[in-house]
Amino acid sequence: MKLRRSMLFVPGANASMLSTVFIYKPDSIMFDLEDAVSLREKDSARLLVFHALQNPAYKDIETVVRINPLNTEYGLLDLEAAVRGGVDIVRLPKTDRPEDVHELEAHVERIEKECGREVGSTKLMAAVESASGVINAVAIATASKRMVGIALAGFDYVMDMQTERGDGTELFYARCAVLHAARYAGIDAFDVVYGDVNNEEGFLKEVDLIKKLGFNGKSLVNPRQIDLLHNAYAPTEEEVEHSKRVVAAAEQAERDGLGVVSLNGKMIDAPIVNHAIRVLQKAQASGVRK
Amino acid sequence: MTDNTISFYIIDPHKNEQERADVAKLLAQCDLDFENTVEIFVVGRQNGQLAACAGLDGNIVKCVATSPDWRGESLSLRLMGEMAHVAYELGRHHLFLFTRPYNVEAFQGCGFYLLAEVSDQCALMENTPFGIRNYCQSLARLRKDGQKIGGIVVNANPFTYGHQYLIRTAASQCDWLHLFVVAEDASFISYRDRFALVQEGVKGIPNLTLHPGSQYMVSRATFPDYFFKDKGMVGECCTAIDLLLFRNYIAPALGVTHRFVGTEPFCPTTRKYNDDMKQWLQTEPTRGSPITVVEIPRTAVDGTPVSASQVRRLLADRDLEALTKLVPESTLALLKNKYMPAA
Amino acid sequence: MKIVKEALAGTLESSDLLVKVAPSPTDTLEVMVQSEVIRQFGEQINKVVRETLEKMGVTAGQILVDDKGALDCAIRARLQAAVLRGADCNKIEWSRLS
Repeated sequence: MKLRRSMLFVPGANASMLSTVFIYKPDSIMFDLEDAVSLREKDSARLLVFHALQNPAYKDIETVVRINPLNTEYGLLDLEAAVRGGVDIVRLPKTDRPEDVHELEAHVERIEKECGREVGSTKLMAAVESASGVINAVAIATASKRMVGIALAGFDYVMDMQTERGDGTELFYARCAVLHAARYAGIDAFDVVYGDVNNEEGFLKEVDLIKKLGFNGKSLVNPRQIDLLHNAYAPTEEEVEHSKRVVAAAEQAERDGLGVVSLNGKMIDAPIVNHAIRVLQKAQASGVRK
Repeated sequence: MTDNTISFYIIDPHKNEQERADVAKLLAQCDLDFENTVEIFVVGRQNGQLAACAGLDGNIVKCVATSPDWRGESLSLRLMGEMAHVAYELGRHHLFLFTRPYNVEAFQGCGFYLLAEVSDQCALMENTPFGIRNYCQSLARLRKDGQKIGGIVVNANPFTYGHQYLIRTAASQCDWLHLFVVAEDASFISYRDRFALVQEGVKGIPNLTLHPGSQYMVSRATFPDYFFKDKGMVGECCTAIDLLLFRNYIAPALGVTHRFVGTEPFCPTTRKYNDDMKQWLQTEPTRGSPITVVEIPRTAVDGTPVSASQVRRLLADRDLEALTKLVPESTLALLKNKYMPAA
Repeated sequence: MKIVKEALAGTLESSDLLVKVAPSPTDTLEVMVQSEVIRQFGEQINKVVRETLEKMGVTAGQILVDDKGALDCAIRARLQAAVLRGADCNKIEWSRLS
């Protein structure tokens, strides 16, 4: 189980950030070739990302590249650079239909074969940014074996819905729909970016909400948000203690060759064990909640 | 992760009055004038506040300022990087920049290279180390052997018997003469026409090479109009830059030992340029060897020295009879056909 | 790959570099590197620049690198971007870029 709480956006045209961003240790780094890059810099940013992906500093951190949509003149070239550069995950923006994922998948497979990369090793993630994308979320989330996640992108979505960003009411249905699609497909779900980097309180409030809903994590625009997010997702001391006991009981049951796990006389089923494993994983990644 | 919060964009100061006012204010804070010849400004703003600006006038970068609240290397680096991209997109790859000597180092950090500097006054820079070197290499291919190699720069606006006399006299005193026609198209007669008239007028002189002018010689880059607040300094500083370029780069490339010039009875600017020549080409200690300045008295017709400015006056008066005495036939024909004002 | 026009890529910001390429009037390859860290890394920067150009098959041109302490991967990327722009090239051969 790969932890994907924080996905930090880095503008692909910014050489300085590309050279240093790994020090912030987010769970995933997303090099952006789409909205953060001006038309003038599309070609240059693509090459920067292509080479940054091959930098040994990124070997131990999950890399994501947000390409331009495939119906633009940049999309396919971005994809070539990402797959050939060795990216872990390609993030497709503005995904409206499962066919968008199929098209992407076909290109990815061709490029993998051309450059000698193991077929299937490039994972995919779709961002839904419209009513159509939200309605088709299940079909999109299940469109490919390569899919590891689905993300909601708020900015375009609220415009499509003829509303604007507010306290979260405007995203309520979309969040639930995307999350259900992800859980149904067995993949991760990511929430929108929180743009006001100076509003720590607002950020934490939003994190609290999406954590309660069940999102794996959130796209971030500022490194300062990483620790806040990780801490909010960190389990409490009691949760950790309890989870340790659950996992220990499960291990004991396996050693004893028992099909049933019990703790303090109560039966524990598989989802509880899995939950406990995730709790310990988060605790190991960033300690207990402060 | 977001970019620095300053956003850069370009403005047309002649179309956007609000932006223009803000730029003028920032320039004034930095003791610089707003120059009307600037076509485009690159400006950087943060939270609506103007933090930096740089202007482009042809291929000359000017009016570069960063807000005192912001001053720091990174801002000027971003500004000048942005300016480079804007200029390239306009097809202006070769950029010049005038500044004060104490700013030279900062602009060197922004991709500019020093061409010439007058202590405590001004410096001229260009955005490539290959620029002047490429030019000198191309000149060096036209180098001629000889003890005494002459050089003349004429604007020929238009070409007169006065120019012809100066050139012939100089050629007769040299082993070889290199003649340049000012290339800047800022004169009454177009560069194309001026060059053609000079070409026609120097036919038959065996030891002469006619060169097109360049940006490194009497151009808008070497003579910016208004740069410093103290306008009195403009002439002084800029003739020096122009002459230092000739002495340190152009003359060594061609082996020029003597620069010839006609005496100037009328125009104070030209007269000053002649006087400055003696200082900067001959007297002033600098890298290039001294070049002897030879002043040749102007030829006169009916007791009046011939000058291009006089020719332009007569042309305005449509005085063909008087003109016939001052300019060769080819010049007269062109003036009649193309430049004569309607009666 | 032939450089047919002047082109520019990169920025002057810290950890980046500005690359200018131009056709060579003498059909030779000239590389000039300016860097704040030229004493420690001048040799390495020159090596990366030469290798990158060689791999792209650039044999002539005037190449100017104004380095602000960039990593090798940024140097390769900016140089390639400038050359591709200056070569007016739309077809990318990825194997020549890695």
